[in-house]
Amino acid sequence: MSSKLVIELDNVYMTSDRGDEVFRDLNLKLEAGRTAVITGPAGSGKSSLAELLVGERFADDGSVAIFGEIIKPGRKRLIKKIRKKIGGIGGIFSLIPSFTVAENITFPLVLTAESKAVRRDRLLKMLTEFSLLKQASEFPHRLTRVENSLVQFARASIANQPLIIIDEPSAGLDRKTYQRIFEYLVKLSLSGRSMVILGSETPPGEIPNTDSYRLEQGTLV
Amino acid sequence: MTRISHLLREIARNLYRNPGTAFSSFLSLTLLFLLFDLFWVAAGTSDVFYRDLLSDIRMEVFLNEEVTDSLVPDMEFRVAQVQGVQAIERVTKEQAREELSRLVGTDLLAGYDTTNPLPRSFILSFAPEYLNSSVMESIEEEVAGLEGVSEVYYGHRWLRKAESARAIILRTGMVLGALILLTALVSSANNIRWMTRARAAGFQQMRLLGAGKLFVAFPFLVEGFLMGGISAAVGWALIYFGRQKIAFSQFEIIVPTTNEIVIFCCATALLGVISGYFGVRKLLK
Repeated sequence: MSSKLVIELDNVYMTSDRGDEVFRDLNLKLEAGRTAVITGPAGSGKSSLAELLVGERFADDGSVAIFGEIIKPGRKRLIKKIRKKIGGIGGIFSLIPSFTVAENITFPLVLTAESKAVRRDRLLKMLTEFSLLKQASEFPHRLTRVENSLVQFARASIANQPLIIIDEPSAGLDRKTYQRIFEYLVKLSLSGRSMVILGSETPPGEIPNTDSYRLEQGTLV
Repeated sequence: MTRISHLLREIARNLYRNPGTAFSSFLSLTLLFLLFDLFWVAAGTSDVFYRDLLSDIRMEVFLNEEVTDSLVPDMEFRVAQVQGVQAIERVTKEQAREELSRLVGTDLLAGYDTTNPLPRSFILSFAPEYLNSSVMESIEEEVAGLEGVSEVYYGHRWLRKAESARAIILRTGMVLGALILLTALVSSANNIRWMTRARAAGFQQMRLLGAGKLFVAFPFLVEGFLMGGISAAVGWALIYFGRQKIAFSQFEIIVPTTNEIVIFCCATALLGVISGYFGVRKLLK
C-alpha cells in the first residue's frame, strides 16, 4: 500500500442496517493532492461513502485505508486520529448548534490543542476569507443556509486538514455563492489538499488534479 | 491549556444553556442530601442519648443471709474482679432500709427493729463497652455463680428492648440513607442525560471532527462532581445555620465532625461523577 495514497478502497462490500447492498466491488484510489469528484443520484450511496471514509460505518468485506491506515471496527484511537485530519462539509457534517460561528470554526484547532494566539490568527483569516466577520459570535440557528455552508468550509480548512470531504457542495447555495465556493475549491486543490466531492451534479467548472467518477449500483465507474 | 479552557467553557455552557435543569438538579440534590444529613444528625444524637441511658444501668447483687459481715469485703473483692465491673458499691441492711423508706416515703420496717429482712447487696456499674445484653447476661451468670450470692438483678428486659429498638432504627436509617443516595444518583444522572440529549447533534459533530468520547463526556462528569460536592456542602451549611437558630435544652444535637463532613462531601462529589457517567453513558458507547 503506497503511503502517498490518501484514500484506498479495495473491493469494498457494504450493506445497510436493513441488509440492502450499498457498495459492491467499490474501488477508489486517491493520491495526495488530487481530487475525486463522485456524482450519483440521490440514494446512490454518496453519504454512506462519506461515512465509510470517516469510520462512522465499516465495510462488511474488502478494505478501507485512509492515510495508509486500515479503518475497521475497534480501531477507535486510529479513527479519532484520522478524523482530525479530515475536514467535512455538508451531508453528515453540520455545525455544532451550541457553539458560536467562531467556536465552530476553531474547534478542529481545539482538538489539536493549538495555542490561543494561533487560533485567533487563523480564525481571523478564515472569517475574512469567507466574509463572516459580522457573524463570528452568532449561533448556527441564526445563520442563513449560505452562511452555514461558508462556516463549514472555514472549519474544514482552518487546521490545514489534508483531506476534505464535501457532500453536495451546491446544497442550499445560490449560483453566485456556489461559484465563489467553487473558486475556493480550486484554490484548495491548487494548495495541494486532497478532496472528495460528492454530489448529484458535476461542479460548474474544472478543478485541477481531478478524477471524476460516477457512483452507480454500488460501485464507481 | 487549550483543551482545559474549552472544557471549562463547556461546563459553564451546560449550566448557562440549561439553567432550569441545572437549578432543579442542584435543588433536588441539596434537599436529598439535607434529608440524609438530618438522618445522620438524628442517628448521632439518638446514639449519644442511648449511650447516656445505658450508662445508668446498674446490676444489683444480693447476698445470702448466711454470709457473715466479716466475709463481705472478701466477696466484694471477688465481685470486683469480674471482667467489665467498673465500680462496686456496698449496700448494708441499714442503707437498704433507708433507701426503701426514701422510695416509699415511709419506714415500712417499723416494728422489725431487731431483725431487718432486707438483704445486703453490691451495686455494680460497668464500662461502656460491656453495656450490652449478651455481655451483661454472661456477667450475671458469672456473678450469680459466686458463693454467697442469692440473687442478681438488672433491667435485662429493658436492655433487650432498647437494643432491639436501636437495631430497628439503625436498619431503617441505613435503608433510608441508601434510598436517598440512590435517588440522588438517579435524579442527577437523569438531569445530565436530558442535557446530553439536548446537545446530542452537537456531540455527534464533535465526534466526527475527531473529539474523543471522554473529551465530549468530561464536562458532564465534572458537572456531576461539582453538583454532588456543592449540594452536600450547602446541605451541611443549612444544618449548621439551623443548629445556631434552634436551641434544644433537653439534649445536645450531635453534628458530625468537620473531617466527617469533608469526607461526606467528597463522597457525594464522587457520587456526582458516577451519576455523570450514567448520564453520559450512551455518549461513551
